[in-house]
Amino acid sequence: MKRGAGLLARRVLLPVVGVACVLAVWEATLLVYRLPPIVLPSPWSVATTLVELVGTAAFWRDVGVSLYEFIAGYAVGVVLGVAVGMLIGESRYFRLAATPVIESLRFIVPFAWIPLTILWFGTSVTGKILLVAYAVFFVMVVSTARAMAQVEPTLSRVGTMLGMGPWRLAWKVHLRAAAPTLASAARAAAAIGWIAVVAAEYIGASAGLGLMITNAATSLTTSVVIAGMIVIGLVGAGVSAAIGALSRAWLDYR
Amino acid sequence: MLGTAGVVVAIAVWTLLSHLLAHGGGVINRLPGPLAVVRELVQYAGKDLGRDLVFSLRVFAIGWGVGAASAAVTGLLLGRAQRLGNIFLPIVEAIRPVSSIAWVPLSVVWFGFGLTSKVFLVGLAVYLVVIVYAVDGSRRVPADLERTATMLGMSGWQRFTSLVLPGTLAEVLIGSRVALMAGWGTVIVAELVAADSGLGAHLIAVEQSYDVPAVMATMICFGLTGFAMNAAFSFAERRLMPWRHDRTAHER
Repeated sequence: MKRGAGLLARRVLLPVVGVACVLAVWEATLLVYRLPPIVLPSPWSVATTLVELVGTAAFWRDVGVSLYEFIAGYAVGVVLGVAVGMLIGESRYFRLAATPVIESLRFIVPFAWIPLTILWFGTSVTGKILLVAYAVFFVMVVSTARAMAQVEPTLSRVGTMLGMGPWRLAWKVHLRAAAPTLASAARAAAAIGWIAVVAAEYIGASAGLGLMITNAATSLTTSVVIAGMIVIGLVGAGVSAAIGALSRAWLDYR
Repeated sequence: MLGTAGVVVAIAVWTLLSHLLAHGGGVINRLPGPLAVVRELVQYAGKDLGRDLVFSLRVFAIGWGVGAASAAVTGLLLGRAQRLGNIFLPIVEAIRPVSSIAWVPLSVVWFGFGLTSKVFLVGLAVYLVVIVYAVDGSRRVPADLERTATMLGMSGWQRFTSLVLPGTLAEVLIGSRVALMAGWGTVIVAELVAADSGLGAHLIAVEQSYDVPAVMATMICFGLTGFAMNAAFSFAERRLMPWRHDRTAHER
């Protein structure tokens, strides 16, 4: 009983104290320095802005566009990344040929591609989808190749003994053995892909959450900026949790 | 051999595509060949590259240092003081999913387009990665080591400086290396949005003049810098902490 109360205090009460401290410091800063709402709006006005935003159709359109760009790019990136990663892991020749190309492209982080995608595809969703696919692809390629290389050799020998060819072995044995690693890589890739969407929308977009908060920053409606950041964080956490749940379900099914 | 073949094939495909798409309409307006990009790169290297690179690296270095140092201090505090940790770590955890990239517009409102806003963003990016390592490191002092130290009559302060501090600092170093690419990526986005100087500002400037070869040349500069930083850090890490190298290689 006492233990339960302690746990309750640790998990609920103390974090609440923490949040209260942050809000108190936030309000106190406003009072002491008399900051105008352009610089720092009060927590209360951020909350009301958030509620107002959720009631507008434009907000949901922005969320929808960003999510669409993310999901389309993510799907392409994961499929291609795992496929190429498997090729690299399975075929020595392919690995030797592809590694220098992949290694040199890998260091051009997705954000550096943003201006080029805008030149090529304008402010359309295509550029963002490709950017997310690029970001996700490299995370998946690197970890798939590594996971394939680390599969227990005994498993491969058992497969060969049972008469499996190299490609069936890759598909039926190695991919399954690598599944837990792939699942956690898929989650990390989701976080990176989501942020790539937001960053791309800052620089050139016709809709989306990134555009929404840069526009708000330009017009100095800071409460919308902060509310938008909260939404970006929530969607990011939601996406990551969803990918986690999906991959767990997939692993359990195995 | 095969590696060279792979690179040759990639460059050949690029050249071929650039010829095919040179005058075509379609989605892709212009794709310059590798030669044009190299020419642009050489030209940039002879002119402003040094200045832009120094500016971007300075932003990165200051932000990275400030972020890692403050993460080390708060990590020690929150990791060792149980009560404080219970109060404030959930807040850190709540902020972590909001990537530093999402802070870019707010940082522009707060600090404008100068050095401060970029240092703030890079510092935040590095902080949010390193804090996890710092808290972890400060808590992971083996219990028997701590008991031995007590038995040997070490005071609380001695135990702190010779057990907790080195353990935490080692983890902070590892975290700082993991944060390398997050920090560098943030420099790029921050300079693209709040462009006044640096590689990112150059990238936006050439993008706005539709100069595709220069855009690609600048992207290559970003890639090479990231690569060089990563190589330098793996080297330093192998020197400083040979026993830890295998672990980070996996986490990267």
